[in-house]
Amino acid sequence: MSRPSFAAVIASVVAGAILSVGVARIAAQGPPPPPKNPPPPGWIDPRNPPKEDPNWQPPRTPDGQPNIQGQWNQASDIITYSIEDPEADRAEHIAISGQRAMVGRPIIDPIDGKIPYQPWAAKYRAFLYEQHRQPSKPQFLDPVSRGFQEGVPRISYQGTYQIKQFPGTVLLTYDYHHSYRVIPLDGRPHAGKDIKLWMGDSRGHWEGNTLVVDVANLNDQTWLTIIGDFHSDTLHVTERWTPTAPDHIVYIATIEDRKVYTQPWKLRVDYRRQPVDEQWESAVWEGNRTADVVLGDSKK
Amino acid sequence: MPYRLSASATAISIVLLLGAAVSVARAQTPGNTLPRTPDGKPDLSGVWQVMNTAAWDIQDHNAQKGMPAGLGVVVGNEIPYKPESLAQKRQNYEKRATADPENKCYLPGVPRIMYMPYPFQIFQAADMITVLFEYVHATRAIYTNGTQHPPGHIDWWMGDSRGRWEGDTLVVDNVHFNSETWFDRAGNFHSEQLHLVERFTPLDRDHITYEVTVEDPKVFTAPWRMSMVLYRHREPNFQILEYECFAFDNEFHAPVPSN
Repeated sequence: MSRPSFAAVIASVVAGAILSVGVARIAAQGPPPPPKNPPPPGWIDPRNPPKEDPNWQPPRTPDGQPNIQGQWNQASDIITYSIEDPEADRAEHIAISGQRAMVGRPIIDPIDGKIPYQPWAAKYRAFLYEQHRQPSKPQFLDPVSRGFQEGVPRISYQGTYQIKQFPGTVLLTYDYHHSYRVIPLDGRPHAGKDIKLWMGDSRGHWEGNTLVVDVANLNDQTWLTIIGDFHSDTLHVTERWTPTAPDHIVYIATIEDRKVYTQPWKLRVDYRRQPVDEQWESAVWEGNRTADVVLGDSKK
Repeated sequence: MPYRLSASATAISIVLLLGAAVSVARAQTPGNTLPRTPDGKPDLSGVWQVMNTAAWDIQDHNAQKGMPAGLGVVVGNEIPYKPESLAQKRQNYEKRATADPENKCYLPGVPRIMYMPYPFQIFQAADMITVLFEYVHATRAIYTNGTQHPPGHIDWWMGDSRGRWEGDTLVVDNVHFNSETWFDRAGNFHSEQLHLVERFTPLDRDHITYEVTVEDPKVFTAPWRMSMVLYRHREPNFQILEYECFAFDNEFHAPVPSN
C-alpha cells in the first residue's frame, strides 16, 4: 500500500469536516446533562464524586511509601469508545457492539466535558470520527484495534491493573495486552527528547499521599478513544494518584499538547480495589485479524 | 581502590582460615556479598541481558551475513531429536527466513525471550517475580508463593511459571506452552508438551548463571540442557525501552497532520 500524500490527507480532512459540521467543537457551554442510561451499581461519577475523608491515612510500605499495592479497576464506568459526553456516541456504541453504553464522563476540565481541540485539530478529529466505522486506510482505524499499545492516559481507563511497589519504583502491570509501566521514583531525568515510546517515559514522586507521575516521550501514534481523539508527540501528561480510602484511588490526569489543544485539560478516573488475581496471558497481536475484518478491501 | 583490595584480602584470609573444606567454587560465590531481599533470598532485581548469539542459533555456528558466529549454549552441543523431528528441524532451518514465528513478531516463548538481544528487568517480591522484557513488551509472572500450575493443558505463548528457592538458586518449573514458538532462528523447535526447568544461580551481584533443562517427549528422545550467563546492566540510569516489533510496518502508521 502506498502512503497517502499529505495533500490527500488534507483533502480528506476537509471533506470530513464538511460532512460532519455537527461534530465540530463549540466553545464551552457549561456542564453536560446527566446521563440517560442508568449507572451501574457502585458507580462513582467523575464529575460529581463523593466527599472524601481528609483525615484518612494510607498504610505504608516498608520503605515508607503510601501503600497503594493491589489490584484495581475503574469504578467510573468510562469506555474507551468515547470519553466526551455525546449520547449519540454511546447509542452508536450499542449499535456496533451490542454492549450497554457506559455513562462515565471523565473530563472534569473544561467544564463542558469536551476535549479543547484547536480548530484545525477539531477538523481532523471530525474526519477521524467519520472514518471510524469503515476506515478508508489502515491508519484511520483505532490503533488499539490494530494491535498497538494504548498509550497514556488511555491505558488508565482500559481495565484491570495491578500496582506493585518496590524501593525506588512503582510498577503498573495491566491485564490487557501484558502492558506495563515502570515508574522510577529516584529523580532521574527523562530519556532524551528524541526517544519516543508508545507508553511514554514515566517519572514519579510522592507529594504527601499523592503519587505524582510525569509522563513524557510519548509518540503521536496512540489515540485516546476508538473514535479518533488524537494527540501529537508534544503530548505531556501529569498524573496524580491519591488513595482516599482503603479501597479507593482517585486518579487525575492533566493533559497538555500545545500542537493540538487550546489549553491543558483534565480527566478523572476513580479506582476501586479488587481481590488480587493472577494475570494470565493476554496475547493481542498474535493472530489479530481485527484490521483485516474491519478494513476489508481497503487494506490493500 | 585500596579499601576494596584490603576488604578482598580480608575476605580471602577469612576463607583460608576456614580451611580446606571451603571449596573454590564457594569462594567465588560469596553469598554474603549478594544483594538480598528482606526474606533473605538473593535479590535478582535489576536489568539483565545475555551476551551471546543464542537467539540466532543455540548450537555452535559459523558467521553468516548479518549473523555473528557463536559457541552454542546447548550443553554438549547436540540436541537429541527423534528422527522425524530432526527432519522437521532441518526443514525449519531451510525456511527460517520466513517460517520463524519471531518474524511475525509473536511472543517468542520461553526460553527464547531470555536470550533475545534485548534487555529485560526483574522485579522481585516474596510471593512473585515479575520479569518485563523490552522485546514486544513481553512479561513473565513467576509465582514463588507455593502455588501449583493451573490445571490444563493451556496453550500459552509464554507458558506458566512456578518458582521455588533451592538455597541461592531460583528454580522455575514451566508448562502450558503452545507449539508455535521456536528456540532460535535456526529452526530448533518443540511441541505443546514442552516442559522447562530453569535455574537462576547468582554468580556474583552482577552475573547470574542461567540454566534450562528441556523436556518434550513428543520431539526429543531425552532431556537436554542449555547454560549461559545473564549480565547486569551497570550503565547509570539504564532503562528498558520499547521494541514494538509489529508497529514498524509503515502501512499502519498514521501521519498526524500539523497545523
